[in-house]
Amino acid sequence: MALSYKTIKPLLLTGTNAASRWFSYIGLGIGVLLLLCSLQMFINIQQLLTRNSIRKNGSDFVSIAKNITNENMGKDNRFSSADIAELKAQPFIEDAAPLIPNLFRVQASAGQMVNFSSDIFIEALNNNFIDTVPPTFTWVENQPTLPVIFSSEFLEMYNVFAPSWELPQLSPATATNVAISLHCEGKLGERIFIARIVAFSDRVNSILVPENFLEWANKTLEGQDSTKSSRVFIKTKDANNSDLLKFLDQKDYRVNKDKTMFGRSKQILQGIITGLGVFGLLVILLALMLFSFYLQLVIARSKDNLQLLLTLGYSPAWLSQNMAKQFMPVYIFVVLTGLALTQVMQWSFHHFVMYDRPELSSFVDWVVIAAAILLIILSIITNYRLVKRLLYRMF
Amino acid sequence: MQLRIQQLLPVYFDEARKSNSDIWGKDLSFSKGEMIKIVAPSGSGKTSLVHFLYGMRQDYNGSILYGDKNIKQFGAEDFALHRKDNISVVFQDLRLFPEQTVGENLEIKRQLNPFHPSEKIKEMAERLGIGNKLQSKAKICSYGEQQRVAIIRSLLQPFDFLLLDEPFSHLDNNNSEKAMELMLEEAKQREACIIFADLERIDYFPYTKLFHL
Repeated sequence: MALSYKTIKPLLLTGTNAASRWFSYIGLGIGVLLLLCSLQMFINIQQLLTRNSIRKNGSDFVSIAKNITNENMGKDNRFSSADIAELKAQPFIEDAAPLIPNLFRVQASAGQMVNFSSDIFIEALNNNFIDTVPPTFTWVENQPTLPVIFSSEFLEMYNVFAPSWELPQLSPATATNVAISLHCEGKLGERIFIARIVAFSDRVNSILVPENFLEWANKTLEGQDSTKSSRVFIKTKDANNSDLLKFLDQKDYRVNKDKTMFGRSKQILQGIITGLGVFGLLVILLALMLFSFYLQLVIARSKDNLQLLLTLGYSPAWLSQNMAKQFMPVYIFVVLTGLALTQVMQWSFHHFVMYDRPELSSFVDWVVIAAAILLIILSIITNYRLVKRLLYRMF
Repeated sequence: MQLRIQQLLPVYFDEARKSNSDIWGKDLSFSKGEMIKIVAPSGSGKTSLVHFLYGMRQDYNGSILYGDKNIKQFGAEDFALHRKDNISVVFQDLRLFPEQTVGENLEIKRQLNPFHPSEKIKEMAERLGIGNKLQSKAKICSYGEQQRVAIIRSLLQPFDFLLLDEPFSHLDNNNSEKAMELMLEEAKQREACIIFADLERIDYFPYTKLFHL
């Protein structure tokens, strides 16, 4: 017949300290809730910002330019090939590519549909640095049409001022149908190309043409090689890397702050959430300590009874196992309640704050569930070890 | 199993005690089936001896061996096992759970390693005249009744050695004899050895060896 704990249970004098027991349960519950919620929010932020950021294949792309000040205004503030080589040599920079500008005059007009004409600038960038490169973004010599990748922001800006100039506002789809006449004129000649927008870029604020076109045009129309540029795109693992920022400050290079804003706010948010999580851990620790005091009190009060049980031949290991088991349902209940509340929080956050955005899930992440299970195991083990130690001390 | 004591002497006793005692400072061995009577006047260390043999105190010189195991090498779990299977005791100070009923006190011991079915508790209690006390809390029983509870409790498990420390100090002759009879029957069933320490000789204990402490 198995040894029954039922007959032993009344020997533990637990009833008189209900208040301290409930305090520790509530403390544990608050701690668990804080920890699980912080963990879930941490994961949410990770998911939201990873999918929305400017990262491509795990790297950040940022454009840098030399700082223009009153002192250096008259000088050549473009990047030379030596500057670019120096950038590439830095360990925190994976790659760098110049934004090659046009060296000749470019005038754009959109014909009948959009009665507008203006001097514009065009630039070329290595395809690896562009976020949207359709297969049509190519040009061969003597090709009269020219594919263009247009900055999404420029289109937005156009749509802002278009009504006041009595120009039609354009959707991205319509904009791709507009044939733009590009009148290119340099020292050595002039050419007209029919440009079409083939894609929009969120990353590069420019009007991009294929690299080989600009090299050809700069040479043919202006007689110069495209060696220098005012802007350089860099590819880095982390745009917020302190070594990178220090290097850029030293060289007096200016970073496009917009592009690192996501990263910076993510860092701050994660910092706050981590702080909350650590606070939750501290609360759990405090609750476990409170509970251990309560257990010590129970054991001290029941000392005579426990000592007599040991004298009669009860095994201290069996007693501690069964005593610890007593509190197991409470621990499981507290942690599961914490998990359930975290689930409610996540659902509400996804539904009411994030309006069911597809990047997030309404359910808690498996990591949070694993953390809850870990907490249950941890509290049971701590409990068992404490009781065992106290009982062995009695022997 | 044999119980051997070698050169045993409490640390707080003079070496001189050895010369006046049949037990302190001697090498002795007790085997299963033996009935050992130890006559010990007050202050001669009777309770200390029982506590040493039961493994509750270790403030002695010399050694106590069960089989070939020295109990000074026992860990907490070894003692638990030993007390559950091999050795039982009636303490002079009884040591019952005061807030539990007589029945609960007995069941707590019986379930640890049941030698008898639970019905036997009632039978034994009735035999010793406390059958109507099973539902009463131990603390409201008289000392004599509590002593009988302690005696029954010691008989609910298997044992090779039964240690008795003045087990009849609060019982009249009639009740003492009944209790002795029960203990002798139970010891016989287990072929166990009884080590009976008391202030003076008792006629109804059929000892095979007599020692003066």
